[in-house]
Amino acid sequence: MASVDTAAPRGHDKKKKKRRKMRRLGVRIDMTPMVDVAFLLLTFFIYTTTMSRPQTMEINMPPRDVSVPVAETNLLTLRVKEDGSIYWNMGFEKPEKIEFKGLRAFLAEKIGQNPKLITLLKIDRKGKYTMMVDIMDEFTLAGISRFSIAHMEDTDKKILEKVSS
Amino acid sequence: MPKIKKARIAVKIDMTPMVDVAFLLLTFFMLTTQFRPPEEVQIVLPTSHSAYKLPESDVMTITISKDNRLFLGVDNQYVRSKIFGPENRLRPEVEIEIKQLGNLMMQARMANSKLRTVVKGDRDAEYGIVEDVMDILQKALITKFNLVTDLARD
Repeated sequence: MASVDTAAPRGHDKKKKKRRKMRRLGVRIDMTPMVDVAFLLLTFFIYTTTMSRPQTMEINMPPRDVSVPVAETNLLTLRVKEDGSIYWNMGFEKPEKIEFKGLRAFLAEKIGQNPKLITLLKIDRKGKYTMMVDIMDEFTLAGISRFSIAHMEDTDKKILEKVSS
Repeated sequence: MPKIKKARIAVKIDMTPMVDVAFLLLTFFMLTTQFRPPEEVQIVLPTSHSAYKLPESDVMTITISKDNRLFLGVDNQYVRSKIFGPENRLRPEVEIEIKQLGNLMMQARMANSKLRTVVKGDRDAEYGIVEDVMDILQKALITKFNLVTDLARD
């Protein structure tokens, strides 16, 4: 198999030489174990190497002291309760519950009806972080690239309590 | 006339090129491989469909663990020894209090102005902590940051 011949035995030109030389021994090194190890390491490195870097979501927030007045009819508020249930309302209307599964289609429909729609997301402080990421992901998938995140105030909680009870 | 038997030719395959290529690949993988740095806490990432990749260098990571602890990490030893002291130079992340966050971020950005901020939160972390962190970021005029997520599989 893999081997190296350093000096090949030269039998036939011996006769021509006048001086008798000692026949040089061909040194044969068996490379098989080295190649075996090399392949072992190669497979190890191929398997352990991670080519992919983690995915990220990029967020651009406006500086603090910028406020934009929004028309009531253009404002869609999404409120997420502590248990992860989602409520939506337009302007000052009464919130209605919506399932997470139907959210993407719902948002796409809303933005289709009114391209000037501003979406406001309010999540309860005790909610889960994954809710925020999931909903923001739904926003992007529904084609809403601009939305706001606001604190959930006590007034919001009261509004939600009224609806659910 | 008897048939002359052909002498069987011994099949010898020269393995040298294959071994050469194998060693080339081996060196390539040995040099490019990066082992994942040990983490202070294990983070289960939330999933999203976003396809942005995390930048490779100059990253400041704010990690929020499942039990709402906060860690700050910078990928540069020099910056790390500047803000956390030389004894913490080799630690990828250091646990901090939320009160310290604004100040430490300021120092880190002073040491390396190209730092990009990345928030790496566990999916079960409380939203309130994330909200506080985002408020601090906004106050520190870091208006652009990334959230680390896993790729959703559906």
